[in-house]
Amino acid sequence: MNIQFIIMQLFNGLILGSIYVILSLGLTIIFGMLGIINFAHGAFYMFGAFVAYTIMAYLIPNFWVALIVGPIVMALFGAACEAFILRRLYNLPPLYVMLFTFGLMLVLQDFIRIVYGAAGVPFKAPASLDGAINLGFMFYPKYRIFLIIITALCSLGVWLFLSKTKLGAIIRAGTDNSVMVDALGINISRIFTFVFGIGIGLAGLAGVLAAPLQNVSHLMGVDFLVDCFVVVVVGGMGSISGSIVGGLIVGEIIAFGVMVWPPMAQTLIYIFMAAFLLIRPRGLFGREAFHE
Amino acid sequence: MNRGARSNQKMILISAALVLAIVFPHIAPYIALASEILIFALFAMAFDLMLGYAGMLSFGHAAFFGLGAYTAGLILKDFYPSVPLALLGGVIASSLAGFIIGFLSIRRRGIYFTMVTLAFGQMFYFIAFKWTGLTGGDDGLQRVPRPSLGPLDLKSQIVFYYFLLFSVILCAILLFRIVNSPFGKTLQAQRENRNRAMSIGYDVDKFKLRAFILSAFFSGLAGGFYALLLNFVPLNSLHWTNSGEVVVMTITGGMGTLFGPVLGAVCIILLRDIISNFTESWTFIMGLLFMAAVLGFRGGIIGILRNKLKLSI
Amino acid sequence: MSKTIQLTGMIALLLGLLVSPAFSAETLKIATLTDMSGPYAELAGWGNINAAKMAIEDFGGKVLGMDIEYVYRDHQCKADLSNQKAIELYEKEKVDVIFDCPNSASGLAVTNQAIKYKKIFFAITSGTTRYTGDLCNRYTFHWAYNDYVLATAAGIWAADNLGKKWYTITADYAWGHDLLKHFSAALQKRGGTLLGNEMVPLGASDFSPFIIKAMNAKPEVLALLNAGKDTVNSTKQAVEFGLRKQTKIVHALLFPEDIKAAGPEVFADNYVTASWDWKVDQPGSKEFVAKWVKKYGRPPNWFNAGNYSCVTQYLLAVKRAGSKDPQAVIKALEGYKFNDFFTNPGYIRAEDHKRVGKAYILRAKKPSEIKEPWDYFQIVGEVPTEQAYQDVKETGCKMGEF
Repeated sequence: MNIQFIIMQLFNGLILGSIYVILSLGLTIIFGMLGIINFAHGAFYMFGAFVAYTIMAYLIPNFWVALIVGPIVMALFGAACEAFILRRLYNLPPLYVMLFTFGLMLVLQDFIRIVYGAAGVPFKAPASLDGAINLGFMFYPKYRIFLIIITALCSLGVWLFLSKTKLGAIIRAGTDNSVMVDALGINISRIFTFVFGIGIGLAGLAGVLAAPLQNVSHLMGVDFLVDCFVVVVVGGMGSISGSIVGGLIVGEIIAFGVMVWPPMAQTLIYIFMAAFLLIRPRGLFGREAFHE
Repeated sequence: MNRGARSNQKMILISAALVLAIVFPHIAPYIALASEILIFALFAMAFDLMLGYAGMLSFGHAAFFGLGAYTAGLILKDFYPSVPLALLGGVIASSLAGFIIGFLSIRRRGIYFTMVTLAFGQMFYFIAFKWTGLTGGDDGLQRVPRPSLGPLDLKSQIVFYYFLLFSVILCAILLFRIVNSPFGKTLQAQRENRNRAMSIGYDVDKFKLRAFILSAFFSGLAGGFYALLLNFVPLNSLHWTNSGEVVVMTITGGMGTLFGPVLGAVCIILLRDIISNFTESWTFIMGLLFMAAVLGFRGGIIGILRNKLKLSI
Repeated sequence: MSKTIQLTGMIALLLGLLVSPAFSAETLKIATLTDMSGPYAELAGWGNINAAKMAIEDFGGKVLGMDIEYVYRDHQCKADLSNQKAIELYEKEKVDVIFDCPNSASGLAVTNQAIKYKKIFFAITSGTTRYTGDLCNRYTFHWAYNDYVLATAAGIWAADNLGKKWYTITADYAWGHDLLKHFSAALQKRGGTLLGNEMVPLGASDFSPFIIKAMNAKPEVLALLNAGKDTVNSTKQAVEFGLRKQTKIVHALLFPEDIKAAGPEVFADNYVTASWDWKVDQPGSKEFVAKWVKKYGRPPNWFNAGNYSCVTQYLLAVKRAGSKDPQAVIKALEGYKFNDFFTNPGYIRAEDHKRVGKAYILRAKKPSEIKEPWDYFQIVGEVPTEQAYQDVKETGCKMGEF
């Protein structure tokens, strides 16, 4: 195993990690603010990929358009879900909400299977990102480099939004104590809708970004779902920085697991998470309040 | 409704349930499905002990079910074809696993507890997947025999059903006694308010661990029965989606009621079979049903029966 | 006195009715157990069900004076459900035979029930060699293909025509390991070398490290020993990293549906084994394709064709046996030589119950070469039966009694 291969794997870990980061950002924002464990998150990720495919196949065959419109459509879809359906569930015990999102996952997945078939649909990276860049010591596909850059920008964007804008401050406050924010006269239910929409929009974005790299089928979100929970728990539930760091760590663990002993790679993250939880249950950046 | 009328109603309901259970194999789509329902009813009851009574959501219970199934299967196939021995082996294995996993996981609570159990569950799945020589790996454990139990020819599906019914009713009675015992009451107390229970002097963690082991015991028993029913053990019995199955059954049926999860198991397995014979979009319909169920009522199916029909269960 | 005669007469008639089969309205009940809503729904699913229905219709709907009833069930590619459905079909529905069953673990589960209920099972869409190996039994037949022919036919042909230095990327479970074993053996037979192998966990989404390692070894041929989603992912990423510029790719399993799902440019110029293709020119083939296209608007894949062939041969065997009794039909199938549109030559080996025939080598066309819908493959070679299928003495099958 030479140094070239190790560096290549480092990059591949970043790719996988990037998808996890964007997905987990959505998941953790939704959990942090709304207290919902969104079982349907993987399904929304998948849905985002299919929305992008539909735009490109039937409307405008342009990846960049799909990349921008797709997540926006998903964000609106998510906001609609929250406003019309999820809102009614807030007074129910969390387990019932979990069951609901589980049902939603089944509905979204099977809907796509009914409309698009079980085998999947073709999805190519745009021609401008085709081919590889010569990084000097190795060739690396352009699209993957693009993915890493986009993830970094996205994470930066979300972080800046939450820490520098007024709306971001409200959201952070709401995550801490939504009752108090409501008492201060801010329309907390509209904030909830907005936050859920953002979370789902992020899931959709991850779906569009991942689509050129893998088989776009109705089941593409299932494996990612469990891994995302791992990331969110390791990073700390409700923590933005936790999702970013956690996502990258998990991506790298899988990448290095694959180098050392491939069959074990996926299981390695579970062992890592279990060990982490037993030592530091609140995760990297989580807060004590989420302990129970 | 006064106490006399309530216990009368209870007796009527229990008798009705028993009669239904006895004729069930003849009205169910096929006998083996009725047996499968009994097995998952037991699994769900075992799970409810943890979720509904002790307040712990485990997402790794498939490990105990699967461990019970594989151990029983291996004993039947390679060691000695005896049903009692196989089932005993299965529950010993699952209870031991319950002790070890419980001991490690109980330190954490809430979502963190859930994730630790999920992690352990996945590790068991991985071990079974790789250890092909022992478990058959992805193919599963093939050719598990179903020997006779004394005069009972268990190979007959109907005889096996009644054997299962008898066993599951026994287990249900046992579990009912457990949750209504001082032990069970203490479990529920610590679920409601952990700190207060501790301040009274209870070693809450010890109670939780015992609940965990008991739950693992009955889950392993259900697994052993499953190996006998199928004449084989699928690798999927250890997958987290199987853990998810029993979570869904318990919540849909009504947590903390023991009987609710049984109803959950019956409804979900029956519906799935019936709907999938009509359309291959049964997943879509099941998803809609779950969503409607949550929107429509509280407390699961038992909740509907209690509130809308004013039944005292 | 007359009353006694009357009574005796009634009893004799009743006994006669009970004993004589000619008076019972017997039917032959056929079932297909397939994946209608899971990962194989496109490949198998309705295609295989329609194939069975068409076969029964073309046979006339009756055999030996019995009406043929047909049912089908969805097992969603789950082994436990497969087992339950097999029990339902054999016991409750009282079917005489089950066809198809994609997914090897599911199919093996069905064999358990076939033995228990002493009824026939034809495994068609799943490929494990265990059906005709360590788990072989009198009640199970393996029809369309198996892992051995997928690996060996492609291995032999590609070693002769594409290159002798190989690398493999293998799905890390029983099926993949089986394929690897047979591929390496085939390669060795033709004087090739295996430069290296990567075991990839099932369902992995990122194949890049394995592809990179493969590229570093500079093989002439890369064999992708996986199926379905893994095939699409690994091939998509191999193209992404530019592997195809120096290396040819050979697949274990590749279907027109996979190519349609990922886009033909992903699979262009890759090779795979198939038991049949709709372009094959052997007696009966073109007519079958024309009939299918007329009814369903697209050509059948070779799983569908295999199902049609298998059901037809079963019905012919029932006719030969003169009864639907499983043991009689099994004896009529064992050692039977025949030709049909799907397999020409065709032979059902008594020693392990495998249907054998020649194998075709297909090349996936470049997008520019595709002239009509579903025109994804070109037939580039054939491998004769003796080379394609494993010698009966080496299968490890100990075919017992009933």
